[in-house]
Amino acid sequence: MPADPKLILTLAAIFIPWLGAIAAAVSRRQTRVIGFIASFLAVLASTLLLQTAPARESLDEALMVLFSCLTSGAMLVLPRRDCNSTTVSGMLFLLGSTLLAYSTENLLVLLAAWVLTTIPFLAWLFRAGLWRPRVSLLASSIALAIAIALIAAQGQPMSIGQLKGHAPGGMAAFGLLVLAVIFRKGICPIHAWVPDAAEGGSAVPTALLLNTHFGALLVAKLIVPLFPDTARTFFPVLSYLALATALYVAVRALSENAPRRLIALVALSQSACILAGLESRTSEGVTGALVHWMVVTTSTMGLLGIVRLLEVRFGENLTASRHLGLAQHAPRLAVFFAVFGLALVGLPGTLSFCSQDLLIHGTLQSHPLTGLLLPVATAMNAVSFFRLFTRLFLGKRRTGFTVMADALPRERWILATGVLFVALGGLFPSAIVTLRSAEAETIAAQPVPYSSRSATIGSTTLALRAGTYVAARAEAASATETPTSRAGSEGRTPYSNAPR
Amino acid sequence: MDLWQSLLLFAVLAPGVVFSAISLGWLLGWIPSERFVSRITGVTFSASVLAIAAIVWRLALTGSPSIALRLGNWFAVGRYEFPLVLLADRLSLPFLGLTVVLSGLVGQFSATYLHRDGGFLRFFLLLHLFAFGSLLAFAAGSFDLLAGGWEIVGITSVLLIAFFQQRAAPVENGLRVFAVYRACDIGLLVGVFAMHHWAGTASFAGGLPHLTETQAVIVCLLLLLAAAGKAAQVPFSGWLPRAMEGPTPSSAIFYGAISIHAGAYLLLRVQPILAQSKLASTLVVAIGAVTAIHGAIVGRASADAKTSLAYASLTQVGAVFVEIGMGWRWIAVAHILGHATVRTLQFLRAPSMLHDYHQMRSATGGELSGVGVHWEELLPERLQLGLYRWALDRGHLDTILDRLVVYPLMRLSRFFAKLDAIGWRGVAGRRGETAISLETSARVGGH
Repeated sequence: MPADPKLILTLAAIFIPWLGAIAAAVSRRQTRVIGFIASFLAVLASTLLLQTAPARESLDEALMVLFSCLTSGAMLVLPRRDCNSTTVSGMLFLLGSTLLAYSTENLLVLLAAWVLTTIPFLAWLFRAGLWRPRVSLLASSIALAIAIALIAAQGQPMSIGQLKGHAPGGMAAFGLLVLAVIFRKGICPIHAWVPDAAEGGSAVPTALLLNTHFGALLVAKLIVPLFPDTARTFFPVLSYLALATALYVAVRALSENAPRRLIALVALSQSACILAGLESRTSEGVTGALVHWMVVTTSTMGLLGIVRLLEVRFGENLTASRHLGLAQHAPRLAVFFAVFGLALVGLPGTLSFCSQDLLIHGTLQSHPLTGLLLPVATAMNAVSFFRLFTRLFLGKRRTGFTVMADALPRERWILATGVLFVALGGLFPSAIVTLRSAEAETIAAQPVPYSSRSATIGSTTLALRAGTYVAARAEAASATETPTSRAGSEGRTPYSNAPR
Repeated sequence: MDLWQSLLLFAVLAPGVVFSAISLGWLLGWIPSERFVSRITGVTFSASVLAIAAIVWRLALTGSPSIALRLGNWFAVGRYEFPLVLLADRLSLPFLGLTVVLSGLVGQFSATYLHRDGGFLRFFLLLHLFAFGSLLAFAAGSFDLLAGGWEIVGITSVLLIAFFQQRAAPVENGLRVFAVYRACDIGLLVGVFAMHHWAGTASFAGGLPHLTETQAVIVCLLLLLAAAGKAAQVPFSGWLPRAMEGPTPSSAIFYGAISIHAGAYLLLRVQPILAQSKLASTLVVAIGAVTAIHGAIVGRASADAKTSLAYASLTQVGAVFVEIGMGWRWIAVAHILGHATVRTLQFLRAPSMLHDYHQMRSATGGELSGVGVHWEELLPERLQLGLYRWALDRGHLDTILDRLVVYPLMRLSRFFAKLDAIGWRGVAGRRGETAISLETSARVGGH
């Protein structure tokens, strides 16, 4: 039987980083080179996967490309002080595990990947004495594990594709999945672990962990497709919680002076509304959420990366409580910081302006309050970010030292690439928005239960999405050829944008 | 796309392209010379002036009301579209012409004024970005696009206020202005979303969106909030003197000419909807009248030239608001054009004011006559003192906003911080730092 190229590429994208992690841990030399090569190969494999994926079902592949690009860039931005074998291997391990979570169509594999991404951080957070991140990550994993156990206990298959529209596990499983989202995403009142982790941890790897956005992934991949009716009834509660988080955290950030905490709060506030967008079931809302996901991820990585570069150069006592005047020493870092920050808070000309525009329009029907609350939260976030920018980079020049390096060439090029992504994406958003809108229609469309398929297909053989899943769909389609089941095997119905 | 549409596109895009090219080059290590920057600025704005002049000539010759350029959709999802329409009509063309002419003049003035200044390149980059934002806002064929240009004008304005970044006051004032802008821009954003929600479009290239009376009132009030914030109308006037911290050329073009009139332009654009709503029209007139009086009183007690000029601007913009509220659309446009031109000249001459005074004094042999009539002397002394105190604290507007908005918000934020701090002893907690933020700008910022 010939090997499926998609399967090979998926395996390559996942296992190359893992092998790189082992190599970095063992060799302890040239760790940056190993890390960059491994993550770059993951980028290539993910890109090839994206090119072969149908436009309407390319969300996983797009996320794989995004996350592997971020890791690849992080390898270059990582300061020499942090570039040790532990950090690099941890980042590569996280990359492999995250790509596994993005690509899998099997609940057990998803659970395994979910837990694997937390392992490096749990060990490290335990040493650092940060209990809130530890508890939240553990709680989210436990909630997900129990939910999957409930589904398995009912004798349901473990393939996500087969479970679509079935509401497996009933309300209990739904509630546990929502709980997992709340813990992992940092939804109010469980939000405090996010800034804790950002401040207490190693900046760049923690930024990567926070930018996996597994909470949103769970919503897009499991909750909305598996529980369409339950989600329609009860999910608005989570959406309103997310909006409340956006607002609460935006207010909270106004008085924050620790740069990493402040950035984490602003990012959390800006990303909270992704959930409302995913739940809106409108093409605009879901597209806005997906594009916003990409912008928030890129901007947050850029910001936390620059803060770490400043900490290495200036000392780890950066604060927004007084002016540091660092722009005179590092003007380019100041500009990169400003652009990433303004992109995060929706400056026109950046991609997040489009994504927020779509988010608000899309959620107006399901959550009219969004139209009011999101601009308010965004305005406060913008003020918080601008305050941080002015305090770090403007004001009287610090006299404690005479020389501080601006962005080094490797940092400059990779940060410029990130800036170009958010800026060019904002000027010419059609390409990105159109791609995401195709996926959005798949998510927004109402899945139809197709019980005949679940009876036809076996249980947990579909470990990875590529190849085998497609084959199983074909098998299911041929087993029952009624119009309803055909719509079900497509996993979607024609898109309807009518107000609900 | 015909020639005239191409010219319109060129005029709007040229400053943006120059900004993008130079800033990207700089980010990657290139440092352009002052001569190059000033020459490219001159060429860009001269070409833009010619393009706008050609469009005016074309419209005058053919009697056509407007030139519209539809570039398709910026992005479209489902039934929602973000149309990319540029519109040069009889309302937008005067503003477009004003922007390119004054930007070019200020560019030439600044080439000498900021010669060998450390922020020379930064100033010119921001000037180009500002011109792009303004042109985009004025040439926009939809409120969505207008909002984009509007926000760009806002951010460049703030960055220029904080231009002299070595001192704390300009930076803190910039932050304060940014906060006011963002708060008021909520009105514009929500107004645009409301238009989409109710009328299905926010485009005005083919006529304004159709709204019911109630909807029109809500939209007008939201847009009025945005316009009042941008035009420093009461109760948001407190940011205007703070904005004088920026370099004089930027003060001239922002607060004497373009940015300060952007709010008036927005109201002119929605004037037909505004006319539907008695409540909104009355509010526009009232805000304009109060601002005009406020500006006249406070301006008289201002000790420095730029602040006096800023309040003089405020008075005139208040009057423009009154004209718009009364429905005198074309009088308002003429008023704006005249006022912007004269005020820019005054701002640009402000640094030479003492020199001019000495020259005049020498020319007259030291016998300079009085400088006008002080009608306030006719008022009772107690009222004069009361007004003086009012003027010294600039109408207590900043204090009122601080007490009603900033301090409660900061108290709430600190309360949330205490809630979050339960069980967490972070770096900041161990140092025992106290949170200071917007309040600092409220205290440090004033002149």
